[in-house]
Amino acid sequence: MHEVVIDGCSLTPEAVAAVARGARVRLAPEAVARLEASHAAWQRHGDPDLLRAKWAWLIGGEPPAAREALVERFLADHCVGVGPSLPEDEVRALMVVRANVLATGHSGVRPVVVERLCQALNDGCLPCVPGAGTVGAAGSAALAHVARVILGYGGVCLSGRGLPPRLEVDENEALSLINGASLTAALGALAVDRSERLLASAQAACALSMEVVQADGRCIDARAAAVRGHPGVVTVADRLRGFVAGSELVREGNRPDAFSIRCAPTVLGGAVDALAFVRATVERELNASVDNPLVFDDGVVEGGAFHGAPVGLAMDTLKLALVQVASIAERRVFRLTYGQLSGLPSFLVPGTGANSGLMLAQYTAASLVAEARGRAVSGSVDSIPTVQHHEDHVSMGPVAARTALDVVELVSDVVAIELLAAAQGLDFRMAGEAEVDGVLASVPPKQPGAGSRRVHERVRERVSRWHDDRVLHPELEVLGQAVRDGVFAGLA
Amino acid sequence: MGGHEVPLGEGTLTLSEVVRVARAGAIPVLRDGARARMARSHAWVASAAAGALRGADGDALPVYGVNTGYGSLARVRIGSDRIQELSWNLIRSHAAGVGPRVADEGVRAMMLLRANALARGASGCRPELVDALCAMLENGVHPEVPSRGSCGSSGDLAPLAHLGLVVFRGPDPEESVGVAWFGGERMSAREAMARAGIEQLVPGPKEGLAMTNGAQLSCALSALMLVDAERLVKAAEIAAAASWEALRGVTRALHPDVHALRPFPGAIAVAADLLRLMEGSELTDSVPGKVQDAYSLRCSPQVLGACRDALTYAGRQVSIELNAVTDNPIILVDDPDENKAFSAGMFHGEPVGFAADHAKLALIELSALSERRTYRLTTGTLSSRLPAGLGTESVGLGRMMPQAAAAAIVSSNRQMAVPASADTLPTCEDQEDHVAMSTTAARRATDVCRNAEQVVAIELLCAATGLWCRIDEGATTLGRGTRAALDVVEEALGGRGSGVPSDDIARIVEVVTSGRLVERVEAAIGPLTAVHDA
Repeated sequence: MHEVVIDGCSLTPEAVAAVARGARVRLAPEAVARLEASHAAWQRHGDPDLLRAKWAWLIGGEPPAAREALVERFLADHCVGVGPSLPEDEVRALMVVRANVLATGHSGVRPVVVERLCQALNDGCLPCVPGAGTVGAAGSAALAHVARVILGYGGVCLSGRGLPPRLEVDENEALSLINGASLTAALGALAVDRSERLLASAQAACALSMEVVQADGRCIDARAAAVRGHPGVVTVADRLRGFVAGSELVREGNRPDAFSIRCAPTVLGGAVDALAFVRATVERELNASVDNPLVFDDGVVEGGAFHGAPVGLAMDTLKLALVQVASIAERRVFRLTYGQLSGLPSFLVPGTGANSGLMLAQYTAASLVAEARGRAVSGSVDSIPTVQHHEDHVSMGPVAARTALDVVELVSDVVAIELLAAAQGLDFRMAGEAEVDGVLASVPPKQPGAGSRRVHERVRERVSRWHDDRVLHPELEVLGQAVRDGVFAGLA
Repeated sequence: MGGHEVPLGEGTLTLSEVVRVARAGAIPVLRDGARARMARSHAWVASAAAGALRGADGDALPVYGVNTGYGSLARVRIGSDRIQELSWNLIRSHAAGVGPRVADEGVRAMMLLRANALARGASGCRPELVDALCAMLENGVHPEVPSRGSCGSSGDLAPLAHLGLVVFRGPDPEESVGVAWFGGERMSAREAMARAGIEQLVPGPKEGLAMTNGAQLSCALSALMLVDAERLVKAAEIAAAASWEALRGVTRALHPDVHALRPFPGAIAVAADLLRLMEGSELTDSVPGKVQDAYSLRCSPQVLGACRDALTYAGRQVSIELNAVTDNPIILVDDPDENKAFSAGMFHGEPVGFAADHAKLALIELSALSERRTYRLTTGTLSSRLPAGLGTESVGLGRMMPQAAAAAIVSSNRQMAVPASADTLPTCEDQEDHVAMSTTAARRATDVCRNAEQVVAIELLCAATGLWCRIDEGATTLGRGTRAALDVVEEALGGRGSGVPSDDIARIVEVVTSGRLVERVEAAIGPLTAVHDA
């Protein structure tokens, strides 16, 4: 995706991610028309003294008399971000998400305002946005930093670029640039995009583990999945069957497996369903009018459409889903590296005792799972009254979304570890090596399904089979990157 | 401070010495007594490794990790021909960290603590290993240590193995596989050590274990966090006093006789410190008929005091660990038993993880209480008639939006409240069936501390704004401590603020974290009560 069209109705998490990575944006002609109509409606129905009224409502007293000074003051006052800047990709995501919100045509802003956001993205004029300090309701600190820079009012660009020339905006435009939980939506879109690849990789890793433990194929029976009926479970069972199709290792009627294998379709399926809910919520939000007031042909409505609760809740859900994926993956890693449970040498390296093999890979997975569990605590259950008594319930959506991205990172490495361990285990099966009474013995070699084989090959293209101990870290790093890049997606 | 020497292995290492080595270039030294102790225990391990000691069965005496495999592989005996390989394999295979690297100060503190533990002379390793670690600290060779992936039992295996990849090399001189930072550049361990003129060692028997068994990253991060937390507690008292004055609070809640009746040491300290900070203020106790304040002021001794007590406890635990032997097995050369190796569980990170989790909880509450005072200062109906939102001509919508930022940061802190040490997963074929997760506890506590610094800075900014309002109304005399604090804030802001709150907050964060705020206030009124034992 080299260019993303901002039309106010079709932005996807993938498109946000593409812009985050550097894709250009273009404002669609139909959005321009919508913006013009909306601005005209604002001029008919809107309150030109909007900020003055807001000022009085918030703190009473008299704001600066001149409109231009008031707008400048208002934007600066909302710049309360704290700490290091968001990285470039997140700033880009935030900008494109806000541009699309405005392009829905219910904010009453002129096309030039949205054009300015698009131009800043295309020119790489990326505002420095201190990452902490946004509660995910109404006036967003993160957006205020963006608005101030792209309008040329002040602030700092990342990469030391100068500010663009000043674009004078009216009171409503200033407010529309900052009013809404777009940071939550932007981080949420990135989280969804990454989670899709992650869940696909998790299923590939699971399939590989099933091959290694010579799973009983009945646990992925289509009829069993269908009668339970959760769509995600059906999907995962299908996908796993796809990986192991033709396998000599996974057969119906093998010894029944432990839950980490047998219940994998159920657990991963639950996560797939959760992600579908999260995606639907985020996609809706990406194309929603997240602003206040909202402008219609026949009038202006003041409401609460800025509040970040819907996506905050979805982000919390996503964390739970991913932690579950990691938690069951780690138990499979434990099983694979546990000689008595796998029938393979302890830690998947022939047993001289002088090699520890993949012992520590399982520790790392365990640590990551525990850390992810700690991160999975809901962000959006919290709320702290802010802004005198006015904003007395806030979403904390940015906290939820930030930790969701953290969890994606942690879980990606757990899945990478499962891929490493399962590929190593599969090498023994394919070579006809098994641990019998503490000794490595020859058994008939068996081959995995074609899909599993493709997964194995992708691992082995990056990491060779372990014999004697070597440094584990670079291998975890390279496989972790491959998981994030989607190398293991779409293989079955 | 740069030339300050810190002796190793004497049981005397303190939190502030850790900070001096980690952040200010103090130099650890191995003195003769410790060197001799190390040599004795090393000699015993060398003889065990050489097969000179016999077990009950007449075979070579089995010593864990010297001539056995590791973890559940302890059941496997290792022949003398492979003993050398064993230590290097341990380092290589255990270097299994992931994620962003630990900051240099954390790596330095970890190196110091490992050196100090080994210098106790119960680990059976050569003094040269400690010398090498000291030389790395002195010359600034900083191993690249990924921050994630340690369970804290049997120690911070992966992080310490990443250190091991730099201090050690393989028996084949070409085999140096670690990564280090030297002079601001990332390079191979071999190159970094060569540039610094330090010889990489080939790990001898047990030296792989000796390098990795113990929760030193957990302890290092905890130590740095706790020193920062002490400074933050004092800054929080300063901010609370400034808020108290700006809100024209009632100081009767701080009377020492009150606190003598519920004598938690932290509460007594907070009440006394606050009274000293506000001494001489014309603003306190100045609202006729007001008998008491809201909890965020009145209960400051109870809440911030409880935070103090928790941090004091954590500091004591961590201080014990700073000087502890955390290895396995430990070598007790003076024990009458012919087998001097005692396998135990000294590496388990639980004591440190608990301390870090406890400190984290304290810092979350410190930030939560501070934010509520900020809310009060910025809420017109709650602030003893300060302007609504603290809006003034010079600060526009005033400090109302910074309060929202504080709320977001407090919420981030709460999100991290789950104790990491409450979690565990079985590892290593069920041999290591309960682990500490202490490293995660220490990392999260550090995150919370950084956040809490920002929250306190926001309170200070808002309290200062409130005080300016009082001054503009005619107040002339602030408490002595508060006056000094306000001077620091005004200097940092170059007046009363830039009009962009984000920039103002960043400047106040700097005076809090650099220690300048506390130094200047203490110069004016004498030291605030210490959190950690001297």
